[in-house]
Amino acid sequence: VSARAWLSERLGRADRATASVRGGPSWAYALGWAIVALLLVQALTGAALAAFYAPTVTDAWASVAYVQDQMPGGWLVRGLHHHGASAIVIVAGLHLVQTALFGAYRRPRELVWWIGILLLLLVFAFAITGFVLRWDQAGYWANKVEVGIVAGTPVVGGAIERLLLGGNDYGNLTLTRFYALHVVVLPGLFLLAAFGHVVLARRHGATPRRDRRGATPIPRWPRQTARDVIAMAAAFSALLAYSFVAGGADLMAPADPSQAYDARPLWYFRWLFELRELAGAAELVAALTTPALGAGLLLALPVLDRQPELYPRRRRIWLGVFAGMVTTIVGLTVASFARDASDDALTERRHAAAQRASRARALAVANGVPATGAQDVFTTVPMYRARTLYAQYCQSCHAADSPDREGPIIAPGHGDRGWLRGFLAAPSSDPYWGKTKLAKTENAMAPVELPDAELDDLVELLYAESGATDVDAGKVARGKAAFESACTDCHSLAEGVASDSGPGLARLGSRDWYTSVIGNPTSPVHMGDFAEMPRFDRELTIVDRDLIAGFLVWLRTATPADLAALGPL
Amino acid sequence: MADDDPDPARRKFLRLATCGVGGALGVAAAAPALSLIIAPARRDTVTSPSEPIDVGPAERAGQVWQRVDVIAPVVRDAWVSAQGVVLGAAYVRRAGEQVQALSAVCPHLGCAVGFDAARPAFLCPCHDSRFSAASGEVIDRAGPAKRGLDPLPIEVKDGRLRLTWIRYKLDTAAREPA
Repeated sequence: VSARAWLSERLGRADRATASVRGGPSWAYALGWAIVALLLVQALTGAALAAFYAPTVTDAWASVAYVQDQMPGGWLVRGLHHHGASAIVIVAGLHLVQTALFGAYRRPRELVWWIGILLLLLVFAFAITGFVLRWDQAGYWANKVEVGIVAGTPVVGGAIERLLLGGNDYGNLTLTRFYALHVVVLPGLFLLAAFGHVVLARRHGATPRRDRRGATPIPRWPRQTARDVIAMAAAFSALLAYSFVAGGADLMAPADPSQAYDARPLWYFRWLFELRELAGAAELVAALTTPALGAGLLLALPVLDRQPELYPRRRRIWLGVFAGMVTTIVGLTVASFARDASDDALTERRHAAAQRASRARALAVANGVPATGAQDVFTTVPMYRARTLYAQYCQSCHAADSPDREGPIIAPGHGDRGWLRGFLAAPSSDPYWGKTKLAKTENAMAPVELPDAELDDLVELLYAESGATDVDAGKVARGKAAFESACTDCHSLAEGVASDSGPGLARLGSRDWYTSVIGNPTSPVHMGDFAEMPRFDRELTIVDRDLIAGFLVWLRTATPADLAALGPL
Repeated sequence: MADDDPDPARRKFLRLATCGVGGALGVAAAAPALSLIIAPARRDTVTSPSEPIDVGPAERAGQVWQRVDVIAPVVRDAWVSAQGVVLGAAYVRRAGEQVQALSAVCPHLGCAVGFDAARPAFLCPCHDSRFSAASGEVIDRAGPAKRGLDPLPIEVKDGRLRLTWIRYKLDTAAREPA
């Protein structure tokens, strides 16, 4: 007894060689198998992705970005999963068109047709529930709009919205729900329906083209099976090639409820998007009624078209209606993409969004995503808080390019030897105190006039106060003499000592000194009554003042290139 | 062989009983799962204190609308208590002595509205609703929004802008809290 015969008996089924195809083999029948191949890819890639995915608002984006950018081949698996869904929509569409053209929805195959349409709707449900899981700007905002449309359903809309979101607003439960739908509920329903679809289709057999109905049935194996397998291989190859060329699937910046984003639905819903756009005030009709009508028409096709014969001429009306539907959908889809392509402002915003996305992903790779949430990945740039505070509280009075500048320019090299030398030479010049009111009064500091060598020593002395370690001790010692002769009328280097005509210079340019000046420049040890800068010790905590001070100390040795390398905030 | 059945009544009873027990079993097994699934829909799972939120120093509100992030100090999101959660954005400006605030949540379907300073007008990037920079009212009837941007209560206290974050029902002409 051969192994195959043994197995056949155990399985209680006839050898597959005995199954036959009416009207001979056809490539048209292979479309269904191509879908099966694509579904298998979805199941496998989906299982792999699920092994990484964390369905919480803080971690979802981070876990997807981790697969995408840090796992070898992760980008390809995501690409296959994302584009695989598109491929299923395309092949299922072809399968549907083929079935309609051949009239295979007709009695007694109505159930096969109806279950097929249910399967197509489930594919769309997969797409919608899957898109939001990545929790990036694209998925988040598209989902908001989709849920908003559903919420607009009369009477039950609000309840459905709360069921979908898992409460009153987007949150952790929203993600766990969409995740459960996507990986448990929908696959279960889909398997059940697909099983019914295939079993019934097999039971009724193929519906050949009219001109081949008389042909003798041929065994399914191997002539039809060969076509099926080739179609499966072709579908997978095309998907693989496309995913490679497309570089996988995109991933935008983390979802951010405060950040405007040009949300667009997945391409296969674009026709509905365009319909809304065209419908204007009647958009609820467009958004809810049209798909319902379309699906209703498809469902009703076997009931409406009951000609006993398959003569295409007799079925003209129904084929015409069907063709009209397909044409409208394709036309609207093209129109929607064309409209976006011609919008320059949109292209610009898209470009900015793409840049934000790549910055977020680069930071996630470099620094990891903070446990507080994916949006905080932007705070992992160096000195984020210090620079944010600086931008918020200091920049408008101190940036070289600020139209409102009122104080000295603060830029890379601030407080280094060159800066000190320039200051001593011309304290009231524009880059230094020139913009202040003090500079125009007789209380302004006079330029220090010393021979070059002595000025050098004085600069070294002041520079040493900052705590810098690259100090020439000999120069500092000599600088003390210069300081005694040129500066002590107004200034002191002793800690905490002020004079009535000038600020104390102890620890000038050090982190402590900056913290203190930022806190209260009107202190007698600093500018006293001459201060124009406001005190920040009431607005900023000492921790924040210290962070800004740290940034200012960093600036002393930084170059403009260093500053640029920190990246934007 | 129904025809050979010696006791049709018994057979009928068995049929009913089988269906009844099977059906009851199904319902009993599904009920707890379904009621758990429905439970969150009946409560507010994402909550934050309703007190006004600090959105920055009063100087932020100038002549031109300025976007500010609305960040709740703490949000309870199901099992998590998270700090510094971005709820959304608002636009603030000073009009005379008054400080005004508009929610950046599009009253159509809730997308974040941007401000186009060149026009100037508010623009929702999702479905092209446009709102007047002067009042926040809908300016272009072609957009699908049924009402203008929602004003939010805002006050200045100790030199800080304090904004009360309210979400309104979407896609309605009337303005009622969600």
